[in-house]
Amino acid sequence: MKHLPKVGALLCMSVVFSSGLALCGGKNQPTKIKAGAIQVAMIQSDETPVPAEFRVALYENLIRQLEKRGFQQVYRDGDRNAANVADLVVLHSTVQSFKPGSEKARRVTTVAGATSISVHCQFTNVEGQPLIERDVTGEVRFFGGNLRATYDFAKKASGIAYENFSPTHSK
Amino acid sequence: MTFRSTKTFVPVALLAAAIVTTAASPQQIPRAVKVVQLTGLPGMKENAKGILSVENGDLHFVHGKAISDVSASLIQDVVTGSDSQEAVGKTVGIISMAAPYGGGRFLSLFRNKIDTLTVEYRDADGAFHGAIFTMPVGTAEEIKKELIAQGAHTFSSTSADKEQKQ
Repeated sequence: MKHLPKVGALLCMSVVFSSGLALCGGKNQPTKIKAGAIQVAMIQSDETPVPAEFRVALYENLIRQLEKRGFQQVYRDGDRNAANVADLVVLHSTVQSFKPGSEKARRVTTVAGATSISVHCQFTNVEGQPLIERDVTGEVRFFGGNLRATYDFAKKASGIAYENFSPTHSK
Repeated sequence: MTFRSTKTFVPVALLAAAIVTTAASPQQIPRAVKVVQLTGLPGMKENAKGILSVENGDLHFVHGKAISDVSASLIQDVVTGSDSQEAVGKTVGIISMAAPYGGGRFLSLFRNKIDTLTVEYRDADGAFHGAIFTMPVGTAEEIKKELIAQGAHTFSSTSADKEQKQ
């Protein structure tokens, strides 16, 4: 009973301290752009020749990773259902460089044979005005087939989307 | 005279029928290939093993009870490629990394060649999809030819077209 006021004071102090921390943390977080849905445009690789399976794997992995990140409305290139969505964000990806690498060389030497693909990602609104632009690199250095570089890219690109856009879940 | 001619006619007719049946059978029975669907088919898991065939104008993939069909007429491009995979399975390959004296690395030298087949298509809503398959060497080109014969489009020529050009 004697220690009750002390415990109460300690509790009050901890509550004040934790709420202050939460407020400070909230100030540091960047404001997210509202996104009703994301549409993934086809991967462009006009200047850098990329095998068809890499181009398709980049696109498909990007869609899967965006869905995993909590974007419930992810539209594919050309999908007519995306036409009337409010706050639609379009992700344009252009391959800048591609190094095929070799899974065999990776497994045998562990230092050589890395596969890497560098992609310029541009998030725009429906009118085509750029919202965010980033260069993202997908790599596979040790384990896995060459196509795993596309998975690495998709994880990073979806991470950028998650950090900068807040899905509004409106159709 | 009638008996003789009938006697010769029956075997000849049977032989002709056999030849016609043999020649027609590859078209009637669709070729099914054991493949791995890496990604892209709706409703299918990544790296799903199954049977791929071209039937009634569709690219038909069966994985267990799950079935996926893509109409050949919706296919915009079919691209074949080549790759390689470890001769030993993935699990053995990973376990063998722990083998002493670089035994695992030695095993990694043994690899099987495989074909890749990439199919790009648009669904009824106009949405773009891409599916990637790996399959035994020499089978991807046959699937591609069958798809083109049943209405699929492609930007890259088949090996037969390349031979004709040369």
